[in-house]
Amino acid sequence: MARKPLEGLRVADFSWYGAGPIAGNTLSQFGAEVIRVESETRPDGLRRVHPFAMNPDGTFKSGYNVSGYFNNFNTGKLSLQLNLNVPKGQELAYRLIEKCDIFLTNFTPRVIEKWNLRYEQISARNPRIIAAYAPMQGLTGPHRDFLGFGAVLTPVTGISHMSGFPHRPPIGVGTNYPDYVINPGHTVTAILAALRYRNRTGKGQLIELPQVESVINTLGTAVLEYLVNGDNPSRMGNRSLNASPHGAFRCADDPESVGSVDRWVVIACRDDREWAAAAQALGHPEAARDPKFATFDARKANEDELEALISSWVRDRKAEDVVAALQAAGVPAGVVQNAQDLLERDPHMRARGYYQYVEHPEAGREAHDGPAFRLSATPGSVPGPAPLLGEHTMDVCERVIGLTTDEVADLLAEGVLV
Amino acid sequence: MPDRALDGVRVVEFADETAAYCGRLLADLGAEVIKVEPPGGGRLRHARPFVKGHDGDPNASLAFWVHNTSKKSVVLDLETDEGRALARRLALTADILLEDNPVGFLAARGLGYKDLRSEKPSLVYTSVTGFGQDGPHAGWAYSDIVGQAMGGIMTLAGEPADPPNMIYGRQADISASIQAAQGTLMALLHAEATGEGQLVDVSAQEALSMAQETAMQTWDFQKRNRVRTGELGMLPIPLPATGVAKCTDGYVSLYILAPAGKDLPALVDWMREKGLQGPLDDEPYRTIVNQLNMAWLTQLMSDPAAAADVLPHLPVITKTILDFFATLSAREAYEEGQQRQLLIGIVSTPKDIAENTQLRARDWFVRIESPLGGTVEFPGPPYRLSETPALIGRPPRLGEHTADILAQLR
Repeated sequence: MARKPLEGLRVADFSWYGAGPIAGNTLSQFGAEVIRVESETRPDGLRRVHPFAMNPDGTFKSGYNVSGYFNNFNTGKLSLQLNLNVPKGQELAYRLIEKCDIFLTNFTPRVIEKWNLRYEQISARNPRIIAAYAPMQGLTGPHRDFLGFGAVLTPVTGISHMSGFPHRPPIGVGTNYPDYVINPGHTVTAILAALRYRNRTGKGQLIELPQVESVINTLGTAVLEYLVNGDNPSRMGNRSLNASPHGAFRCADDPESVGSVDRWVVIACRDDREWAAAAQALGHPEAARDPKFATFDARKANEDELEALISSWVRDRKAEDVVAALQAAGVPAGVVQNAQDLLERDPHMRARGYYQYVEHPEAGREAHDGPAFRLSATPGSVPGPAPLLGEHTMDVCERVIGLTTDEVADLLAEGVLV
Repeated sequence: MPDRALDGVRVVEFADETAAYCGRLLADLGAEVIKVEPPGGGRLRHARPFVKGHDGDPNASLAFWVHNTSKKSVVLDLETDEGRALARRLALTADILLEDNPVGFLAARGLGYKDLRSEKPSLVYTSVTGFGQDGPHAGWAYSDIVGQAMGGIMTLAGEPADPPNMIYGRQADISASIQAAQGTLMALLHAEATGEGQLVDVSAQEALSMAQETAMQTWDFQKRNRVRTGELGMLPIPLPATGVAKCTDGYVSLYILAPAGKDLPALVDWMREKGLQGPLDDEPYRTIVNQLNMAWLTQLMSDPAAAADVLPHLPVITKTILDFFATLSAREAYEEGQQRQLLIGIVSTPKDIAENTQLRARDWFVRIESPLGGTVEFPGPPYRLSETPALIGRPPRLGEHTADILAQLR
């Protein structure tokens, strides 16, 4: 069994909901020992929301341990129950951090201060700690205590204004989008860079990842349109400044696509060659010669008509067949896939084995997102199921922090380990 | 000069749209990133929007700038023997090779992973493509919207009556690059510890899968597909103080029923201060305003009949609230609402972002040299590292460093 690249590293994961725990999940998949610090006095909201695992009789399982939302983001972690609202809990947090390489949180500065987990405080106990704080707005500034979560970031960062159709209000993108890749991915990138620096100098450091700043960085083109050109651009649906046609086109319904029978393909033609190839592949080579569509400028000028034409070509065809024909001609195209497709019907995802299945003691057999990048020599994997709430309290207190069994019993009785 | 996290690391990049942002993250953290470009530059050099008055100038694409800060640029023609030979010599000076070409493209030019690892076993070779290096779709043509569609996020975005929505900002490319940055740095740490290099394989489709939120697990557990629900989001029916509200000059998004921040009565207090509470202090609205929260909503979802008395009154409450927001500027609604601990987000336009109070107070924007001369203000980095900050340097002009870098190879 190949060694994982982060073996030997220990992470104190004081985060919750999406962006923080997913960063911890990535570190866990690549070999770090990740200790989720939780409390029944303030359980992670994701432990209590759908989708829940089901019983054989079709009812939902219940309790803190059966949410697929939580379980997918916390694979292989250990769960330590710790009440940070009491001084003894805070002291135990320091003792844990002393034994860790990485500290991770996405609570607001107000909560961090209440729990005495500021960087000055924890680095005083462990100068080698790499401490990653990922609050919504940053640790400083007039908006530092503003409330939010992923779905609030979507409007605040400009994603909502810039996405969707121009005739609609800015409704967002249907999910807490920035929580899943942008923010945890930037967080782990910064942590790994800090690890390299520590390897060379022995020094830890403070990483501040204001989620708003992290997301806007990825929308830099729109921001530069204002900063450099003085323009204030807006959403244009699925169209592109650089490709035409560029959009989603409805194909024949698919009754086997459960609850989601409308089927769509996306097509992106970035130059005249790709457009001519697309028209040919869809059985209408004459359209590419039509002066209304022959050049990029002409296609942009007649884009409504172009899109209606393509829609008429594909509306009675099976989406997968349309995509196969276009791809055979070298045209970027894909089915607008749903989760059923990704888990069960997409032969490519299955061949690559992206999703990994583990047995969870309460939820049962669960699908998990596997590592989102493949390392040929030191691959990651889903290391095991998410922990039950407090499952490893005893283990972490004794093995990691170094408490005796009697001390743990006292702390349990005093309400510190809840 | 502050310390740089990736000091002494050389990256040779054969990347255009999909992996360039990964190279940018490494470059801003201090790696020397040498971008090898074809004569004339790749697609991103020619991508709109351009700096005004510079349409088509390969040094003036704003998207290129965003994805290529702090790099060097070398032009080499990989379709010639000389270009390939120089590229190979350059690649063998690298700690990391980063690329996003169609599968097999570089191998056909003597620059594949297997070609280089035999001479340089410590090389980290990162390939970022639409569908990864193996599997039945590995050879598929890809562009950003294809990744968003095949990765499962478009099906969740938009109104049911519309086509599924793409998310702005090359999000499949960006996500693939962010995943690649993590994998590349893990592989670099491993190579520095052991001398062993490896291949890092990133598929844009897989890179986005996590962003399906709960759709994947909903299918896995419940054999239901999550679908796009537009403005309604996860709610069964439209509810007051949730969703988009129009202001005098833009929009805000309201999440006041969500389990964070204060509940509806705090909003009505604010409305009352402006004399705009309408009938909400009167019955039956007053009672409903006091009970409309997440707990009530949960009850509504499990037993819609129990809400039958309340539902007919909701439109008046919604309208009164929307009428209130219509009197405010978006910024006022956001900032004062948040000061009152009401969960409200401004729907920022690029101009709003440029003027954002918090970003300005934190000095987030940086001023860098423009590739066209002079300076420009630029969005800041995604993170702040106290000892080894990410520093944003000017994007290179096409071929700007060709002579310097090639001189090093001689």
